[in-house]
Amino acid sequence: MTLEFPGAPAFEDVDGAKVHRVRIELGNPDFVTWTFIFNHFIEKKVAALSRVVGFDLIHVHDWLTAPAGLACKHFLNKHLVATVHSTEVGRAQGLHSPNSYLIDGLEWWMTYEGERVIVCSHSMKSELVDHFRIPPEKITVIPNAVDSSQYETVVDREAVKRRYGMEAHDKIVLLVGRLVPQKGVEHLVNAVPSIVQNNSDAKFIIAGDGWSRNHLENLVRTTRHGDRVRFVGFVSDSELVELMAAADVLVIPSIYEPFGIVALEGMAAGVPVVAANVGGLTEVVDDGKTGLLFNARDPQSLSWTVNKVLSDPACSDWLIRNAKKKVQAYSWSATARRTVETYELALGG
Amino acid sequence: MGFVEYPVPDEIHFLCLLHNIGATSFDRSLSVEEISRWAAMEPENVRQNLEKLISGSYVSVSSGKYYITTSGIIKVLSMYS
Repeated sequence: MTLEFPGAPAFEDVDGAKVHRVRIELGNPDFVTWTFIFNHFIEKKVAALSRVVGFDLIHVHDWLTAPAGLACKHFLNKHLVATVHSTEVGRAQGLHSPNSYLIDGLEWWMTYEGERVIVCSHSMKSELVDHFRIPPEKITVIPNAVDSSQYETVVDREAVKRRYGMEAHDKIVLLVGRLVPQKGVEHLVNAVPSIVQNNSDAKFIIAGDGWSRNHLENLVRTTRHGDRVRFVGFVSDSELVELMAAADVLVIPSIYEPFGIVALEGMAAGVPVVAANVGGLTEVVDDGKTGLLFNARDPQSLSWTVNKVLSDPACSDWLIRNAKKKVQAYSWSATARRTVETYELALGG
Repeated sequence: MGFVEYPVPDEIHFLCLLHNIGATSFDRSLSVEEISRWAAMEPENVRQNLEKLISGSYVSVSSGKYYITTSGIIKVLSMYS
């Protein structure tokens, strides 16, 4: 059960998963009110389906669908599993508004009502235990995964560089992510002068979109290296694979990151990863082995790791080799198996 | 420690509002007057925000009615995930 999306069918069967996209028949300018309306239409759809389908368990993801999940648990009298992908207190780095307190309350409520809680990293588990006082034994850590086969393609790196207006000898420093404060993009921008000073061939590609984009584009102009930094917006999955394969280093400067799936994608694509030492990134990236970690919010520390990778091919190759081995452990089949085991626990098996 | 403080631009708030009131496809497009009523904003102010969003390809217009593009929806979703 999910939100409708332009062009996507109201129902489809994806490898056995029955996907229902819910149409919202009523709008509201306020986002939280809109979310509750959305949840009402999910409940209505579940109620209709429950007359013909025997549900065994409700699995709800994050606060956005928590009200519907909680209601369905009680009116169907079924077990509830809750996945928390991130928390409001983490995303906003504190609770700063009435809506934040409401969202925080919904997150607590879904973890309280869930027989089992799933998180993507040990860092997130600690966050839930500390913030919501959830018994740790109720939480299962199931990491996100990556389909490595998608990255096993031969990419013409020079052709990719040409597409982005670069010379063959240029070195691509790549950032992929939503352009929002949580992703710490300004720390890479602030590190650009120091990276360029040490690597005169460095060029920067920032892929992704978000409400901070204008602010970041203006910030880039203040570095006097605006001609080296390209914001390419949202890119398709296939283009992302090519960009990653062509890049010389992937930078993840997040301030808050429950998991950091982009690190896994980079590791699968064979690009050395340098990441901030926060949250799940410290579990995916083994510092000095499968990537390099730098101090979050510290452009100097960030530039040191980028310069190290760009100027030391042996180090870069070592990181890529180890990362490719590590990423094999993060398969979707393993994630699916652990999820089924968690359902069985919730059902009392 | 919080994030670097800078405000969400007005046109992004406005884009989110268009999403929340349901102007998410051609068949649900809305006129300036309808948006103005939902947003409690002057029509001229609505037009200015729409022009900015159209220039960024986040909003499309057809027969005087406006709706969010797929890029616009992705931009809105970046606010909340």
